[in-house]
Amino acid sequence: MSWTLDEWFVVLLARTIRPGETVFHGFGSPCAQVAMHVAKRTHAPDMILVEGAMYAIDPDPPFIPPTGNDASLSRGAAYSMRFEEFFDAAVRGDVDRMFLSGGQIDGYGNTNVTAIGPPGRPKVKLGGGGGGCNLAATIGSLTLWTTRHRSGRTLVQACDFITDMGHRTPLGTRADLGYTGGGPQWLVTELGVFDFPAGRARLREVFPDVSVEEIRNATGFDLEVAGDLRAARPPAPSELAVVRSLDSLAVRKSEFSADELARTFTERQGQACAC
Amino acid sequence: MGLQPRRDKRMSLPDAVSAVGDGAMIALGGGLSARLPMALVRELIRQGRRGLHLIGSAHSIDVDLLVAAGAVRRCEESYVGFEQDLGLAPAYRRAAEQGSIEVAESCCATILAQLRATEMGLPFLPVRGVRGSDIARLHPEYAEITCPFTGERLVAVPALRPDVALLHAPAADRYGNLHLAQPYVLDERFASAARTVIATADEIGSPGEIAAAGITIPAHLVTAVAEVPFGAHPSSCYPRYGYDRSHLHEYVAAAQAGPDEAGKYLDAYVYGTGTEEGYRAAVGPARLGVLAELPGTTAGWKELFA
Repeated sequence: MSWTLDEWFVVLLARTIRPGETVFHGFGSPCAQVAMHVAKRTHAPDMILVEGAMYAIDPDPPFIPPTGNDASLSRGAAYSMRFEEFFDAAVRGDVDRMFLSGGQIDGYGNTNVTAIGPPGRPKVKLGGGGGGCNLAATIGSLTLWTTRHRSGRTLVQACDFITDMGHRTPLGTRADLGYTGGGPQWLVTELGVFDFPAGRARLREVFPDVSVEEIRNATGFDLEVAGDLRAARPPAPSELAVVRSLDSLAVRKSEFSADELARTFTERQGQACAC
Repeated sequence: MGLQPRRDKRMSLPDAVSAVGDGAMIALGGGLSARLPMALVRELIRQGRRGLHLIGSAHSIDVDLLVAAGAVRRCEESYVGFEQDLGLAPAYRRAAEQGSIEVAESCCATILAQLRATEMGLPFLPVRGVRGSDIARLHPEYAEITCPFTGERLVAVPALRPDVALLHAPAADRYGNLHLAQPYVLDERFASAARTVIATADEIGSPGEIAAAGITIPAHLVTAVAEVPFGAHPSSCYPRYGYDRSHLHEYVAAAQAGPDEAGKYLDAYVYGTGTEEGYRAAVGPARLGVLAELPGTTAGWKELFA
């Protein structure tokens, strides 16, 4: 069995979902979108899947389209929430997990999707945060992800602008700020997986073709490494099958550079290795 | 403006849009690639509106085209862009980076609370989050308050009352009853919070047909309605047509190439077409026919996006 980095990445995102959770992704998030369906069809069949910008509950889309609010995404849904029904549920604490990405992510899990450079006169104006700056405070747990870790510009010492709040901002901790949600729990990158044991990102898992030194060099904050650092667990055939059948348009690949898409893995003697 | 009496509110698109003044605060209906009020946007540009203050949740070519045409002073959305697929919004990005528009980026649940305050006749509502985010720094109008019951510190956001809401519906009747398909996004909230609601509909049907389909936005909130087939193109308007990804790609490529190329797009599809009839001719009936065939089969649906 062999698989590609983009497939594995989606599977690792899916595994951050716990059975029974109510889970949401924002728009412009194809990897998270596919990952939620992988979880639903493998280890978390009883999760409540809220399909991004359609606010559709447990749909059965025929494929994942390249836009976040096409009607294909609500096919077969048990219900389509109104915009306000979803945001009310998330703000009052009924949503357990959200996927969030960022052009910049710092060690506390703050993310920037607003602007690179000074906000009054940005060097690059990014798209914006959607619902993040309300929801990052109230949703139970956050799974962060980026596919641009290797650039060295994404995991930064400090975000130029904090759109969505992590475990601590310059104004205080989540407790200081009165947030009701738990904040970032996982950060999945194309190089490895981080957890946040004390409100700071800590490298927990690595891909077999990446060294800790490479990760350190690509990370703008001080890299903390778990004492029992693990190799990322390879995808199961059942997980890969969902990725491949559901994402037949391969929208997940739009998040990766060509070099990352070329990474292929295979399993030999129970160990994943790059080939 | 109070509730609208029951009367025939059909108007031509140019007459409906002539009620929008320079500098107006405009709420744009729909979101991302769905049910954007594009015919209304194009007509605003043809009529040369300037200094507009746009509000909304997550938007794309509607905002970007108005910015490219020089119609916008201030943007207050939660997102403007073309998602992972086609990337950043080129004209919006350029204008923000050059400082030629003010960007007061906002957040979906915050905008919702600000509209609800208006709907409820309240001066403000509290919201969760925002504290600790730099979004708060873009909004000197926000304030922090202490809940008199629990002692919690919360951010208070002022009521937001758009001068005009521009909405597009797949079907309406002559009184302005609008039937929408999901996602409604903020259209219902805009309709009751805005002073004036101007709608286009792909088709104006009989009041009985619209009542049977289901009234999403009632006529007493709507000021004017114009029949404009494919009035949301190149965004989708289900169940009538899917979004036109290749047209969006054409626009994004032109806008990325710079103001001259963006200007050529505007000449070809907005100024040069004169009317929406001209616009549909420029896009081509064959292409519109393909979009409207959907969703017939999964394979056909998929083909649109390939």
